[in-house]
Amino acid sequence: MKEYASFLGCIIPNRYPGIEASSTRILGHFDVELVQINGASCCPAPGVFSSFHLDSWLAIAARNIALGEMTGKDIITMCNGCYGSLTEASFLLKGNKELKEKINGILSKVGCEFKGTSKIKHVIEVFSEDIGVKKIQEAMNTSLEGVRACTHYGCHFLKPAEMKKHGSSERPRLLDEIVEASGARSVDYKDKTMCCGFGGGVRARNLDVTLDFTREKLNNIISARGDCIVDQCASCHLEFDRGQVEIKKIFGQEFRVPVLYFTQLIGLGLGMGQHELGLDFHSIPAKPLLDKLNGGRR
Amino acid sequence: MTNIGIYICHCGTNIAGMIDVEELARKAAKLKDVSVVKDYRYLCSDPGQDLIKEDIRSMDLDRVVVAACSPRMHESTYRKVLSEAGINPFLLEIANIREQASWVHSEKEKTTEKAFDLVRIAVAKVKKDEPLESLPADVIQRVLVIGAGIAGIQTSLDIANIGYEVVLVEKEQSIGGRMSQLGKTFPTLDCSACILTPRMVEVSTNPKIRLHTYSEVEEISGFIGNFHAKIRKKSRGLNPDLCTGCGECTARCPTKVPGEYDEGMGKRKAIYTLFPQAVPNVPVIDRANCVYITKGKCGICKKVCPAGAIDYELGDEIVEEEVGAVVVASGFDPFDPTSKEELGYGRYKNVITGLQLERLLHTAGPTKGEVIRPSDGAVPKRIAFVQCVGSRDEHANKYCSRVCCMHAIKNALLIKEHHPDAEIFIYYIDIRAFGKGYEEFYKRTQEHGIKFMRGRVAEIFEENNGNVVVRADDTLLGMVMENEVDMAVLSVGMVPRSDSAKIQKLLGIATGSDGFFMEAHAKLRPVETLVDGVFLAGTAQGPKDIPDTVAQAKGAASSALGVISHKVLELSPLISEVDERLCRGCGDCKDICEYGAIELITLDSRNAARINPALCKGCGACTVACCNGSIKLRNFTDTATFAMLEAVLGGEA
Amino acid sequence: MTEFDPRIIAFCCNWCSYVGADLAGTSRLQYPHNVRIIRTMCSGQVFPSYILKALELGADGVMIAGCHIGDCHYVSGNKKAEERFRMLLGIMKTLGLDARRIRLEWISASEGVKFANTIKEFAREIKELGPRNGGKE
Repeated sequence: MKEYASFLGCIIPNRYPGIEASSTRILGHFDVELVQINGASCCPAPGVFSSFHLDSWLAIAARNIALGEMTGKDIITMCNGCYGSLTEASFLLKGNKELKEKINGILSKVGCEFKGTSKIKHVIEVFSEDIGVKKIQEAMNTSLEGVRACTHYGCHFLKPAEMKKHGSSERPRLLDEIVEASGARSVDYKDKTMCCGFGGGVRARNLDVTLDFTREKLNNIISARGDCIVDQCASCHLEFDRGQVEIKKIFGQEFRVPVLYFTQLIGLGLGMGQHELGLDFHSIPAKPLLDKLNGGRR
Repeated sequence: MTNIGIYICHCGTNIAGMIDVEELARKAAKLKDVSVVKDYRYLCSDPGQDLIKEDIRSMDLDRVVVAACSPRMHESTYRKVLSEAGINPFLLEIANIREQASWVHSEKEKTTEKAFDLVRIAVAKVKKDEPLESLPADVIQRVLVIGAGIAGIQTSLDIANIGYEVVLVEKEQSIGGRMSQLGKTFPTLDCSACILTPRMVEVSTNPKIRLHTYSEVEEISGFIGNFHAKIRKKSRGLNPDLCTGCGECTARCPTKVPGEYDEGMGKRKAIYTLFPQAVPNVPVIDRANCVYITKGKCGICKKVCPAGAIDYELGDEIVEEEVGAVVVASGFDPFDPTSKEELGYGRYKNVITGLQLERLLHTAGPTKGEVIRPSDGAVPKRIAFVQCVGSRDEHANKYCSRVCCMHAIKNALLIKEHHPDAEIFIYYIDIRAFGKGYEEFYKRTQEHGIKFMRGRVAEIFEENNGNVVVRADDTLLGMVMENEVDMAVLSVGMVPRSDSAKIQKLLGIATGSDGFFMEAHAKLRPVETLVDGVFLAGTAQGPKDIPDTVAQAKGAASSALGVISHKVLELSPLISEVDERLCRGCGDCKDICEYGAIELITLDSRNAARINPALCKGCGACTVACCNGSIKLRNFTDTATFAMLEAVLGGEA
Repeated sequence: MTEFDPRIIAFCCNWCSYVGADLAGTSRLQYPHNVRIIRTMCSGQVFPSYILKALELGADGVMIAGCHIGDCHYVSGNKKAEERFRMLLGIMKTLGLDARRIRLEWISASEGVKFANTIKEFAREIKELGPRNGGKE
């Protein structure tokens, strides 16, 4: 049995608990247990925070990592933003002795220390490395055949490519392989690797710019006849889900594309229900997709 | 007792600006055994040199220390001064107070102090130096040229026409290199083959040039004036002496594979020549694809050959050559843009490289000069060129490849002249039109209506019908633009050849941070390497166009001639020597020597080591291996080093 | 009490690191004045006794700079330098010397920047270690 400390960030507990629920349940199915990290805060948001004050961003991120290290386990996150923040902070502190001492000086005031002893992984790495596509495939008991999934990798997971090293940052394969292992078909669409538009502070400051991106992606997904979006980031997830509501309100254009976190898709393949997977917390109903899967679910 | 003269150079303000030369002279004068200390504005000048010569004669100086620029600049200059003044040239030491002091520090006092330390070190060493005589060595008056593209060809012709022999080795089955792949060349639009082939024929008929094609240099040993090369002549699968070049075999061969010479744009047979004017005009059997060799079937070429030249069993031949100098003219490879995934090369059929377009435009190429696009053979009317692919790129190569701008402009013009209704876009960062006639050519191309778009191409993706969309930031308009075109051409840069590491190991030459072979000095020694007797010509040393390649090739020829035109060369005496009285004959030095320069000889019933002065390179590895210090590296001895350390750390006078 | 100004000796090989040092000069890169360079033909020609002698005579730090492994002008001189250096590191403590005072570095002829940065770093480290105090350490 493998154990990881789970860093949840903000969006998952506050907006999409289904991501945590589905991930935890499915990891458990594959003999991977998640342990809580007590006292963790916002990661903090990698683009926004580090743009304003580097030391504050590093100190808060380092504190989160330090709390994770105290569990004695490696850390996983389910959000690209948290992944970006924690891995980049860790990379900077491990590479610069003076910086590390400075930040640990700040952390000492709250009784923490960044040691760099825990690896930081995205939950998708657990599926791809620890579990493997073969085991996922063998575990599927409900057919997802016919489901056209449009995958969305997001940005902070893949780049900077020299640091993140998950294969090609222009034509990644990881999420697609997992989606295909679950039985669905990963469908190519125009500008697949484009940002969802959330952009950290952009959504807060220039919602119209953000929604322009989201709309473009949704249009491309519709052109490719995708049945759903499958993502691996809580922020992108929020953007696609809430974004469709906002686009309808502001631009009058209606999309009804179900948005799934990849573990929610795997969960469907394992025969789990809408509520178990937290799909009913979404603004955009998953019903069209569920209907496609053999006449709906409970 | 010894009379040392110390000469301090101002080098204008290069040294005097940061070092108090008067103070330095004052301190130096107090050193023991120093008879005279003088400073001068430009010591390397004629009057500067004369000053030293005069003092040597009039004051009976027997050793000289020069405090000036790096010994790599003028050591030989000052050695000559000593010779001309009548003292042994090896009784000279140079204190590097410019490159390693005045140019790298900013506090006058501390730098002057450091300069004094460096002078002290030099004085301590010069006291321990022994007078040495250069060793004469017979020079083999022949040159080895590796690579027979335009650079290698030009170098060989220049040397051969003066009357010396050249051994020209070419890896491919024909000489001609990259230039033979080109159609029309910029800026004159004269045909590459027209200007190249006469030179190729000259090479093949010149009695002084020994040409080995389809051959590779496997081993080189020796030193300047005396290199020994082992060359592998690969088997063509046929006897070249019997072959008449009739071409029947090629015509009848049933196997077709993508052709490397056409950059994959066309097919060739399993028995083939590279191009119609190939020199020699003898084909090669591609052993990996020949049906007879791989499966034992077919054998048509053997049956139809009227000269009976085919011999599938023919093995490689090893040839040994002795030369006095080597010129490396091994050329370049085009950058493979597959790694720039966002541009879609290798993924989308209608994204090709500049060299592939060149083959399409070539009248003797796979499409006889008609540019058609790979996906459906249609004639593309909207074409986008993408500049700086793999060059000026933090993620690929940082350098500029020099020729790609002109290459794209030239090809754009050729297409436009052939199809006046074609719409051509060149996406660039900067246009480099540096050579004679280049800027004028660029202007002419603009006047023909070719559109220059300033902006880096971010992505290329495919539309349904094979068309590709080029998405770029147009910096002049300040907008992101998408442009659907029939075909995109990537102007890929030049990179060092994939086998350059092999050549590097062969000769012990250095490569720069960009991977190309390194010249001895960036400005003043562009054709020499740091290995005496080995020279560079052409793109092997860095990206350049044909005029620059030819100029450099001629420079390399001249330098090589500088070596081999003497019958005897003076070899450096800075080698190791054994004190046979002390040597115990343990053989550790023999084992450690990389050059096989040491052998054990019998001396009155005991063994002792003996060093071959011709083979010893003076590295000193044996001196450290020696258990009782009986081997010394001349003028780089233990006593010298300890004396230097005492001088600078012990504060001696 | 004057500030400690380390004295560092650097043995640089004629083909790579000495040229790299010259390149730092031609590029006008600035680095601390504390180093005195002694030219050797090859890093493989540096006797361990040279390093110890330098320290004995009062050098605060000693550096040997050669070509990158695989690029030695004399094929494998730098490999020999590496082995000897490793052995020397092993006995530094027995000799009552701080192993951090000696350093082996590979610097090519085109690495002027690396040369300057290495001197900067080494000078800083030696400054932190303090003076040799003629055998006190």
